[in-house]
Amino acid sequence: METLEISGKTVREAVKKALKQLGLTEEQVEVTVLKKGRPGLLGLGVEEAVVRVERLAPVVAPGVEEVGDVALEVVGELVSLMGISARVEAGESQGEGEEESGKLLVDIKGDDLGLLIGRRGQTLASLQYIARLIVSKRLGARQSLTVDIEGYKERRYRSLQALALRMAEQVKATGRTVALEPMPADERRVIHLALADDVRVTSESSGEGEDRYIAISVRS
Amino acid sequence: MKELVEYIAKAIVNAPANVVVTEETGENGILVKLEVAPDDKGRVIGKQGRVAEAMRTLLRVLGAKAGTRVTLEIV
Repeated sequence: METLEISGKTVREAVKKALKQLGLTEEQVEVTVLKKGRPGLLGLGVEEAVVRVERLAPVVAPGVEEVGDVALEVVGELVSLMGISARVEAGESQGEGEEESGKLLVDIKGDDLGLLIGRRGQTLASLQYIARLIVSKRLGARQSLTVDIEGYKERRYRSLQALALRMAEQVKATGRTVALEPMPADERRVIHLALADDVRVTSESSGEGEDRYIAISVRS
Repeated sequence: MKELVEYIAKAIVNAPANVVVTEETGENGILVKLEVAPDDKGRVIGKQGRVAEAMRTLLRVLGAKAGTRVTLEIV
């Protein structure tokens, strides 16, 4: 463990100096005052303060790696309990922007996983929801986690982006509103994001639950 | 069927020891009954039944493989 003994005019100043040298914050160290120091009088009897600053062992919040291990275990267990033989691999999601990329991703790999994706990706969405719930409960904090199957979501998101742009062109050309087929929340989000920067069209969700869909129309 | 529900329920409740899952086969396929501590009931049902709904969706995969209907009942 790193320690540093350092002196200064006052305790405060000595600690400041030490932290600067170590490049740490006050929360990361333990300070022991060795000599309090005396301001002295008219330059007589001045004594510098001496402190010992010791770096504390970092308090580890569950790091990405630990979350990853738990996530892999949970998703693997769920899949096998569903009677499906597949491998699970950890990865990072490649989504758009900072918010999306770098998030924990568990990809399920194997043959014939259509059943696990389900109609409109519903089974996959449920699997992700349950996996998130279990992982969050285990680690005592909400965890963001994406579960994918053979890159299904990545591919789906990309084709949805293309669809959004195509439909936007159509709306601009005809002036008519286009309603897309119902989609789950994450897919609707992809569409909204794809059109967010387009000043000429606007996207809006309507309908409830499973029937919620997006309509693209000319921005008035 | 029952193992999947048991695994999920035990992992999300506060009192896993009180989780009891039974399974019976009837005319309408397989009925899975999930029993948890009263305080945990909300956890296995979820807001607007989301958790229960997700469990049912996952059970459907097992049902499809076994060629039967699976019903989940929370008691």
